[in-house]
Amino acid sequence: MEIDALARCFGTASCLVTQLTSGLIIGMLLFLIASGVTLIFGVLNIINFAHGSLYMAGAYAAWTLYQVTGSYFLSAAGAAAVVGILGVLFERLLMSRVYGSNVLMQLLVCYAVVLICDDLVKILWGPSYLSMGMPKEFRLPPYRIFGGVVPPFYLFMIVTAMAIGIVLWLVITRTRFGKIVRAAAINGPMVSALGIRVNLYYAAVFGLGSALAGVAGALAAPVRSLTPGMGFSILIESFIVTVIGGMGSIGGAFLASIILGMTRAFGSVGFPLFVDGVMFLMMALVLIFKPSGLFGRAQG
Amino acid sequence: MNKTFSRRRLIKAAGASAAVATAGFPAILKAQGGGTIKIGVPTILSGRVALLGTSSVGGLKTVFDKVNAAGGIGGKKIETVVRDSKGQPQEAAKVTRDLINNDGCQIIIDAEASSGAFAVHEVIREVGVLCIHTNSETTSLTADPKLHVPTAFRTARQGIHDAIGGGEYAARIAKAKNLKKWVTCSPDYAYGRSNTAEFMEYAKHFDGSIQVVEESWPKLFQPDYTEVVTKVLNAKADAMYSALWGGDLVSFIDQGNLYGLFDKLTCFMVNLGDYGVVDEVKQFPEGVHSGGRYNRTVPATPENEAWYQDYVKINKSKPTNWSWENAVAAQMLVEALTKTAGDTNGKKLAEVIKGMTIKSPWGADGTLTMRAEDNTLINYIIGYGLSQPKEPFISAFQSSNWQAILELEKQWKKKQGYA
Amino acid sequence: MTGRWRDLGWAGLGLVALLLVAVVDARPAIRDFIMFAMAYGLLAMSLNLLIGYTGLVSFGHAMFFASGAYAFGLAMQSGHFSVPAAFVFAIALTAALALVVGAICVRLNEIYFAFLTLAFQMLLYNLILGWVSFTGGDQGLMGGIPRPKFLGIDLADRLQLYVFCSVAFVICMVIMRQIVTSPFGYTLRLIRDNQDRAAFLGVDVVRVKLVCFVISACIASVGGILLALFVSGAYPNFAFWTTSGESIFMIMLGGSRVFLGPLLGTIILRVLNDVTVVYTSHTELVLGIVILIFVLGLRKGVLDLIADRIETREQQKAFSQRDAADAGKAS
Repeated sequence: MEIDALARCFGTASCLVTQLTSGLIIGMLLFLIASGVTLIFGVLNIINFAHGSLYMAGAYAAWTLYQVTGSYFLSAAGAAAVVGILGVLFERLLMSRVYGSNVLMQLLVCYAVVLICDDLVKILWGPSYLSMGMPKEFRLPPYRIFGGVVPPFYLFMIVTAMAIGIVLWLVITRTRFGKIVRAAAINGPMVSALGIRVNLYYAAVFGLGSALAGVAGALAAPVRSLTPGMGFSILIESFIVTVIGGMGSIGGAFLASIILGMTRAFGSVGFPLFVDGVMFLMMALVLIFKPSGLFGRAQG
Repeated sequence: MNKTFSRRRLIKAAGASAAVATAGFPAILKAQGGGTIKIGVPTILSGRVALLGTSSVGGLKTVFDKVNAAGGIGGKKIETVVRDSKGQPQEAAKVTRDLINNDGCQIIIDAEASSGAFAVHEVIREVGVLCIHTNSETTSLTADPKLHVPTAFRTARQGIHDAIGGGEYAARIAKAKNLKKWVTCSPDYAYGRSNTAEFMEYAKHFDGSIQVVEESWPKLFQPDYTEVVTKVLNAKADAMYSALWGGDLVSFIDQGNLYGLFDKLTCFMVNLGDYGVVDEVKQFPEGVHSGGRYNRTVPATPENEAWYQDYVKINKSKPTNWSWENAVAAQMLVEALTKTAGDTNGKKLAEVIKGMTIKSPWGADGTLTMRAEDNTLINYIIGYGLSQPKEPFISAFQSSNWQAILELEKQWKKKQGYA
Repeated sequence: MTGRWRDLGWAGLGLVALLLVAVVDARPAIRDFIMFAMAYGLLAMSLNLLIGYTGLVSFGHAMFFASGAYAFGLAMQSGHFSVPAAFVFAIALTAALALVVGAICVRLNEIYFAFLTLAFQMLLYNLILGWVSFTGGDQGLMGGIPRPKFLGIDLADRLQLYVFCSVAFVICMVIMRQIVTSPFGYTLRLIRDNQDRAAFLGVDVVRVKLVCFVISACIASVGGILLALFVSGAYPNFAFWTTSGESIFMIMLGGSRVFLGPLLGTIILRVLNDVTVVYTSHTELVLGIVILIFVLGLRKGVLDLIADRIETREQQKAFSQRDAADAGKAS
C-alpha cells in the first residue's frame, strides 16, 4: 500500500488534474461500451457477451478506413456505421433465433461469435499488433492545466463520449423512439399488441448499442494497439460497470464508469497491486447489498 | 417434469459417446511415415500473442526447409507438427503428450511462452525425449537445479544475461548523463517482475548512486496505460526502465507520446527494437535506449542479412526475436541429428547437444554455445542501441561483454542458491 | 430400491469398461484423452447439479476446480501430505470456500447470482496471480507435483494414474447419481421449477441450495485434482472465467436435463478440440461455427434432444396403441 503517495497526489494540483483526467479517459471509453451492454440488456433482456468483439470490430474498421481515407473523423463515423450494421445483422440472423429459448443458448451464440470474430480478425488483418498512430489533427503538444498535463486527443475523446452519452439519454427519455423502447423493455408483447413492430425496435436498439461499441473502438484505435482478442478484457470491465450501475440504466452506467475510471487512476497511485481486486470487490459488494445496482430497477 | 434416465437411453448415450470418442483419433489412423524425423512444436497460434507462434514457426522453416531440400539427414526428411495450445499451460502439456504419443514425434521444440514452457518441461521430465525451449526467457527454467531435466535445453535469451548486460550499459549512460532518479514500468507477471528487478539490481551494482523512486506494474494485456503514464510523469524522474513487450508496448508508446513522455525522460526499453513493434508504431520515439532483440543490422554481417532475406522470402513477413531463437534450436538439432546419424533417442541427442558450439549469425563472436552445466544458450548477442524512426531503427549498437556477464552470473547463481 | 442397485451396476460396468480400455488398448494417447475428459467431465457434471437440477446458473464454478488443483498441488509440494491426505485436504478446503461463497451468493436470483459467482471467481484468480510467493503467480505451481507411493500405488506410473483417476471419477459419478435420484434431488428440481412453491411446502430453499452448492463444488475440486495430477501442476487459468464458460458450453452441448448430458458434451468438445487442432490453426473459427450449428440447428443439448425424441415416440406409441384398442372396442 502506498497510501501516503495517494495523499500527496491529492495535495498537489498537477497530480490531481492529471489523474482526474486519466480517470475520465478510462471511464468515458468504458461508458461507451457499457452503455451499449446495458441498453441491450434493458430492452432485450439479453447479456451481450459478444460486445467486446463489436468493440474490436470498430477498432479494426476504423484502422482500415483510416488507411483508405486518411481522415480520422470519417473513419470513426464509418466504423460506427459498419459496426452498427454488423450488430443489426448479428441480432437478426443469430440472436433473434434464440430469444425464446434458454438464457444459456443466448450465451452460447455470443460465445461462438466471439470465437469466430477473433479468428476472422486474425485471417483478415494478420496476427501481429496494429497501431493506427495519432491522426494528424491531434499531433499537438499537450495542454497544461494547473500544472497537470492533458493531451488534446484525450480531451476530444472525453467530450465526444460525454456528448454521445447526453444524446443517448435525450433519445431514450425525450423521443417517441425512446418511449417505445422503454415500453418494450417493460412489456414487449403489450407494445406489440399496440400494432408496433417490436422486432424492428429490438434490431434498432441492438444496432445502436453496437454502434456505440464501434465508436469506442474507433476512439481507442489511435492509442491502443489492435490485436485479435482485444475485446476480451474490456468486456469484463464493462460488465462490472453494468452491474454496479444497475442493469439497464444508462445513468448508472455513466456513474459507474467514472467510479471505475477513478479507481484505476487513483488506485494505480495508492494501491497499485489491488486495483483489479478492488474492482471485483466493489461489484461483489453492490451485488450483496443492492443487487439491482446503484440506479437499477429491482427485478421482479 | 420427470425425466429419469431409462436404461435404453443410457445404452444409447454410451454408444454415442464411444462412437464419438473413437472418431477423435484420426491421427492414429494416419499411417506413420517411417522415413521422417518428426518434430513436435507446441506453441500459441491464437489470441493476443499469435505472433509468437507464427514467427517461431517461421524461424524453424528457414533451417528445416533447406535441410529437406538438400535431401534431409541421412535420407530422412524433417517434418514439423505444429499445435496450438491457445496459451493454456494444461493444453500445452496435453498437446505435447499427444504430439509424442499420438503423432509419433520423436523430438519437441517447445515454442511456448513462459508458463506453457514450465508445463511442457514437466512432460519432458516424464517422457524423456529431447526438448528445446525456444521462447521462455525465465531464468529459473534452466538455472534452478531443482527444475533440471537432463533432456531439456533452451535456445532463448535468458533474463539474467539481459539484465547484467543491460545494467552495465544503463550504468554507463547514467554516469555520463547524471541519471539518478529512476522509475520502472513493466508488466505485472513473472517475466516482467524478475526482469525488471534483475535489471535495476545490476544498474545499481555498476552505479551506486542510482535509486528507484517509483515502480508501476500494469497488468499483462492491459488495454489502457494512461494512469501508468501519468504516474510515471508525476514521479519527475530522470530515467525509466520498461520490460513491456509486443502489443502492450505498442499501446504504451502510442499513449506515452500523447504526454511527450519520451522527451521528458531517458528511457531504456529492452523489448523495443523488435520488428513486431518497430513496424507498427507510427510515431516511433527517437533516442530511446533499446535492447537488441532481432535486427537485420545486429550484427551487420552478410550472414545475418542473408538469413533475414531468407526469412522474408519464405514467410512474407519480418522475423522477430522469437524467430532467431527458434532458428538456433533448429540449427543445433540438425547438427546433433547429423552426429547421431538420425538417431532421435533423447539421451543420445542430449549428450551431443550438451556443450555444443555452432557457427551462427547471432553469436557474439560468430559462434553460439549450449552450456553443458545448465543446458542453456550463451554467447548470443546482447546489447543496447539507440532507437531511430527509420531503417534500420536501431543505431550505435553496443554489444555486451560475455566475460563480465558470465562472471556476474556465477555470483548471482550462488546468491540464489542455484550453484 | 432396485433403481439404486441398477445404477450401481451401471457404474461398475462403466468402471470395468474404463479399465478395459487401458488393458486392451495400451496407447497412452487414448488414456490421456480419457483422463482429460474425466477431469473436465467432473467439472461440467458438478456444475450441472447447479444449472440443470437447481436452476442456479453459476459463472464461477471454475474457482472450485482451481481451489482443488492448487490445494492438492501445494499440499503435495509441502511434503507433509500423502496423496490420499492431500486429496481429502483439497476437498475439505474447497468445501469451506464453497460454504462461505455459497452463503453469500445463493440468496440472489438468476443473473445476479451468476455475476456474483463470477466476481468471487475473479477475486480468487487475482489472488492466485498476485500471491506469487505462494502460488507461483502466472507461472503456476512449478517443478511438478510429487507423488510418493501410498498403499503400493505409484501415481508416477501413467497406467496406475489412469486407474486411480477412473476410480475417483466413477465414485464421483455414483455420488452425483445418488443425489439426483434421491428425495433431495427432487427437492432441487422443485426449487428449479418453482422456488415459491417449494418454500410454501416448507422447504428451506436457501439451505438446500447451499448444500447443493457445496457438494457440487467438492466434486468440481476432484476434477481439478485429476487435472493437476495429469499435468503435474496447477495454473491460474484454471480459475479464469473462460474455464467456467467452457464448462457451461459442455453442459449445453450435451444436454442439461439428462444425467449424462454434460459428460457427453465434454467428450464432444474435447474431440472437436483435438481433431480441429490437428488439421487447422483456425480452431476458434471451426469451434465457433460448430457451436452455431448446434445452437441454431438443434436448440438443445444432444442428449436432451434424444430424450425428447424418445419421449414423443413413446407417447405416440401409447396413443396409437390406445387408439387401436379403442378401435378394437368400437368394432
